[in-house]
Amino acid sequence: MSWFEKIEQPLMTVGEKLNNNKVLQILRDSFMLAFPLTIFGSITLIIANFPFLSNMIGEEGAAALNALLGPASTATMQIATVFLCIGIGYYFSKDQGCDPIFGGAIALAAFVLVTPMELIHTTEEGTSIVISNILDINRLGARGMFVGMIGSFLAAWLYCWATKKNWTIKMPDSVPPAVSKSFSALIPACLTLTVFLLIRIGFQFTPWGNIHDFIYEVVQAPLTHLGATLGATIVAIFAIQLLWFFGLHGQIIVNSVLDPIWNALTLENLTAFQAGQAIPNIVTKQFIEIFTVGIGGSGMTLAAVLILAFICKHKQLRQVGRLALPAGCFNVNEPVIYGLPIVLNPTIVLPWIVAPIINVCIVYFAMASGLVPLTTGVTVPWTTPIFISGMLATNSLMGGVIQLVELAVVFVCWLPFLKSMDRQMQKDFPEEAEAVAA
Amino acid sequence: MNKIMLACSSGMSTSLLVNKMKQAAKDEGIDAEIWAVGQTQVPEEMKKADVVLFGPQMRFLKNKFANEAKELNIPIDSIAPVVYGRCDGKAVLAMALDLIKKNGEK
Repeated sequence: MSWFEKIEQPLMTVGEKLNNNKVLQILRDSFMLAFPLTIFGSITLIIANFPFLSNMIGEEGAAALNALLGPASTATMQIATVFLCIGIGYYFSKDQGCDPIFGGAIALAAFVLVTPMELIHTTEEGTSIVISNILDINRLGARGMFVGMIGSFLAAWLYCWATKKNWTIKMPDSVPPAVSKSFSALIPACLTLTVFLLIRIGFQFTPWGNIHDFIYEVVQAPLTHLGATLGATIVAIFAIQLLWFFGLHGQIIVNSVLDPIWNALTLENLTAFQAGQAIPNIVTKQFIEIFTVGIGGSGMTLAAVLILAFICKHKQLRQVGRLALPAGCFNVNEPVIYGLPIVLNPTIVLPWIVAPIINVCIVYFAMASGLVPLTTGVTVPWTTPIFISGMLATNSLMGGVIQLVELAVVFVCWLPFLKSMDRQMQKDFPEEAEAVAA
Repeated sequence: MNKIMLACSSGMSTSLLVNKMKQAAKDEGIDAEIWAVGQTQVPEEMKKADVVLFGPQMRFLKNKFANEAKELNIPIDSIAPVVYGRCDGKAVLAMALDLIKKNGEK
């Protein structure tokens, strides 16, 4: 067995296990469910918070526009956990061969069933009153994300388990299918929701009062705090680069583990941004997508592609660069990863791994120091070109500027290595180099 | 009609290759329907295909869909990294047609 196989095999197994893991796969699909909706919400949010808007249409005009457009992002992004619950219930049931739409509905009902339905409001005089018959939007979004995820998996699992036990009410063949379908879900639905009702009642006797606050304090807050650290982010980036070096899609593999945490952090930022409060988190899904993937693809290869296309002299390298450039502008970089290749190429392994880590530190500290505003939580597709994506994600020109700084850092890191590769190739395959010169 | 499906994480980089393969098929006068999908659509879409090829970065999908492919009796494989990097439509088309042919001979 060669050294490559020795390292590739375990990485391949890890990649396969994580990517093909059913729970992670269902989660990934469920997060994707709300994607088109969040794009709509993001567009309205970007318009309503356009920089210098108040200079153009005045403070009052800006406030009025905000009030008009605000509900669009509340109905899409702020209640992301609702879509997550439906998605988990749906995809889990589908995977188990049970009727998915009921699975989705039951998961949603189960989530609402354990959600507090009153709000304690403190009046201006300082007395607190309880408003009943109300669902707090925050609990349907950022704050309820983990309880939604865990609860929906439990609900869907219970529903499918009961369905498979065949504790269903059988209907004669003459009954229309839609009718018998709704009856067949009856016992599993009642059983699942009974469990959740008991959870709700049970938690009223705990210091937390409800499972939402319990899961938030015991699971969500510690995990998201850990995921938001620079150290954890560097480990994630290193893993992505290492997996890609062996030709495996590092981003997808790492995402399958960290997406729940990154998405929860994003949603916290969004909630604060929409409420006009200080944005809490540096590391978010957008931090990863826009300030690492957004610099030409995972590994931030746009600068490397530019060097190949315009600075390298060897024909073959130029061809790789020119072939990879159009896709690279939209952060798709498989052509350069396999074409240069970056995969298993010892010449460029150093800049490949080091440059993204340096850049992550730069962006992290630029945001921590206030030089660059934090990501607002609006969804910007990762295929959005550099500079534009940074501005949209931070609602500031500085977001685009820091991306150009990152591009320059990658450029400097890669240049000596690609130049040496260029020289080596001209020496080894001189005829092709002359063809360009001619 | 040869129905060739490519798949990767979200169907982005394989779609680059699809255009090159379509061009290659046109040049060689081969009747082929070629399309790319993301990994979530694979179970549905593969039913329509004669052959499924995965991008090398997602080559572990080959194991994942091995059983389904066997049931549907369609060959699946991952594309060689070098060919993928060059976006060599001609080579991947030849590979796909070869797999379809071999499967037919079985």
